[in-house]
Amino acid sequence: MSYEKPIPLKNEDNAPFWDAADRHELFLQKCHTCQQFAHPPGPACAKCGSSDLTWENLGTDIKGRVYSYVISHRPFLPGFQNDTPLVIAVIELATYPEVKMIGNILNHAIEDIHIGMEVEMTWQKINDGRSLPQWE
Amino acid sequence: MENIKNKYAIVGVGESERSKKSGTTPLHLALDAARAAIADAGLETKEIDGFMSYSENDSCPAHQLSTYLGVRPKYVKDIMGGGSSTEMLIADAIGLIETGQVNTVLIYRSMNGRSGVRMGGGGWDVNMLQNAMDGGSFLIPYGAGSPGQWFGLFATRHMHETGLTKEHLGHVCVSFYEHAQRNPKAFFYGKPLTMEAYHDTPDLSFPFNKHDFCLESDEANAIIVTSAKRAEQLPNQPAYIMGIAARQCVSHAHYWTNVDEVASDYVAKDVYKKAGVTAKDLDVASIYDCYSWVVLRQLEAYEIAKRGEVGDFVADGHLKMGGKLPSNTAGGMLSEGYTHGMNNVIEIVRQIRHDYEGSDRQVKDCEVGLCTGWAGPDIAGAMILRN
Ligand SMILES: [Zn+2]
Repeated sequence: MSYEKPIPLKNEDNAPFWDAADRHELFLQKCHTCQQFAHPPGPACAKCGSSDLTWENLGTDIKGRVYSYVISHRPFLPGFQNDTPLVIAVIELATYPEVKMIGNILNHAIEDIHIGMEVEMTWQKINDGRSLPQWE
Repeated sequence: MENIKNKYAIVGVGESERSKKSGTTPLHLALDAARAAIADAGLETKEIDGFMSYSENDSCPAHQLSTYLGVRPKYVKDIMGGGSSTEMLIADAIGLIETGQVNTVLIYRSMNGRSGVRMGGGGWDVNMLQNAMDGGSFLIPYGAGSPGQWFGLFATRHMHETGLTKEHLGHVCVSFYEHAQRNPKAFFYGKPLTMEAYHDTPDLSFPFNKHDFCLESDEANAIIVTSAKRAEQLPNQPAYIMGIAARQCVSHAHYWTNVDEVASDYVAKDVYKKAGVTAKDLDVASIYDCYSWVVLRQLEAYEIAKRGEVGDFVADGHLKMGGKLPSNTAGGMLSEGYTHGMNNVIEIVRQIRHDYEGSDRQVKDCEVGLCTGWAGPDIAGAMILRN
C-alpha cells in the first residue's frame, strides 16, 4: 500500500536535515557565531541572525523526553484516517534539552503517554528512500 | 509618538444576521454589518473615509464594500489575518487619523465561516500547507494540521506546570455558555452546558473536546473608529480607547519550539502601561477564546489571576456575572459566534456604553474593559476601553 500521508518537502534550508533522516541520522543546524542549535533549520540563525551556519551530526542513537503532547482522535489532515488516536508530541533531546522536535509517539498505549516519558528516535520508512524521524 | 490615551473612540458597532448557512455573499453580510454600525454611530455614511478588513481570503474587499455604501474612500486596506487583527486595525486607524489621512474608519470582518471557508481544519492541500507555513515540513508530516493541535501542545505543558485540569477548561466553557443564555443572538442560546455534560464529551484532540473549540458561523461584524473630538458631537455614548497594543510577537516564527511563552505575555505589559491601569482596575473583559485554554493562559498573562491560581479563579465563578471579572458576556466565540474576535470587541463596547442597562446582561459599575486578541501563541494584541 502506498504512503498516503504528507511527505516532508525538502528545500534549500532544510535539505541536509531530511537527507540525513533518509540515511537514519539526525543532523541539526548549528550557528558558528553564537554556538546555539537552530531547529527547525533556516537561512540564518534565529537566535542571532548570523548566516555562518553548519550542520552537526548527532548520529543514530537519539534519546529524548516528552515535553508536551496532544492526542488527536480525529484526522485533521488527509492521509491520517487510520492513525487515530494519534500522539503528536514535543520532544526535548536528552543531550540538548534546549532543542525541541515535533514527532509522533509510536507503539505505546495512549494511557501511558505522559510528560517526562523517555523515548528513543526511530526512523519510519515511508517510500522512495524517504524516512521520517519518529519516537517510541 | 505621544500617548493617544482617550483621544480616540469606538463610536459605532454592528453585525449582520448570524447563521450556519447565510445563503448570501460576504459582501451582502458586510453591507448589513456596516449599515448597522453606521446607524449605531449616528453618522452620515459619507463621513466614513477609511475602510479596512481582515480575512483569510474569504471576505470582500474594502473598496467593494465602500462602493456599495455609495462612498468614495480616501483609504482602503485589506489584510490577511485572523485573531488580534481587530486590535491591530484599530491601532492602524488611529495612526491614519492622527496623521490626517482620514477622519473616520470602518473596520469589518465578513465571513461565511460555517458554510464557506472553514478554519477548523480539514480538506487542505498538504504540500501547500508545508510551503505556506515556515517550518511546515516539521509539522505537517506528523499530522499536526489544526490550531487545536498546535495550541494543545502549549496547553498540555502549561496544565502540567500549573496544576490546571480538564475541569478548569470546563469552567471556562460552562461560564461562557451561561452568558450565551442571556443573548438570544448567540448560537448556543437555549443550550446551556453543565460540567457533567462537558466531562461526558469525548476529546477531539486531547486536552480539548468540542466544547473547548470555538464554533463556526456565517456573519459579518463592523466597528467605527474616530477621534474623541468627533465622538463627542455624536448622539450616543462613545467607548474611549485608553490604550492599545497593536500587535506583538514571540521571538520565533516557529513558535512551537518554545511552548513556554506566548505573545500575550508581552502585550499585557504594554497595554497596561499605555492605558495607565492594572488588572485590578478592570470591570469587564472580552478574552480571545478560540479555545478554552487560551482564556486560562491569558488570565495568567494579563495578571488577572496569578500563575497557579488561574484554575481556582475560574472554578470560583469569576468569569460569570457577579464574579471578579465577568468575561465574554455575550457568550464569546465558544458559544456566541466567531469572527476572529470582532464579536468580542463589539460586546465589550456595548458593556462599556451600558447598552444593557436595566437587564441582567449589564455588568454592574462597568467603567473599564479589556479586550484581547490572540492570533496564536506567537502573535497577540489588546485594547483597554472606558466609559
Ligand atoms: Zn546564532
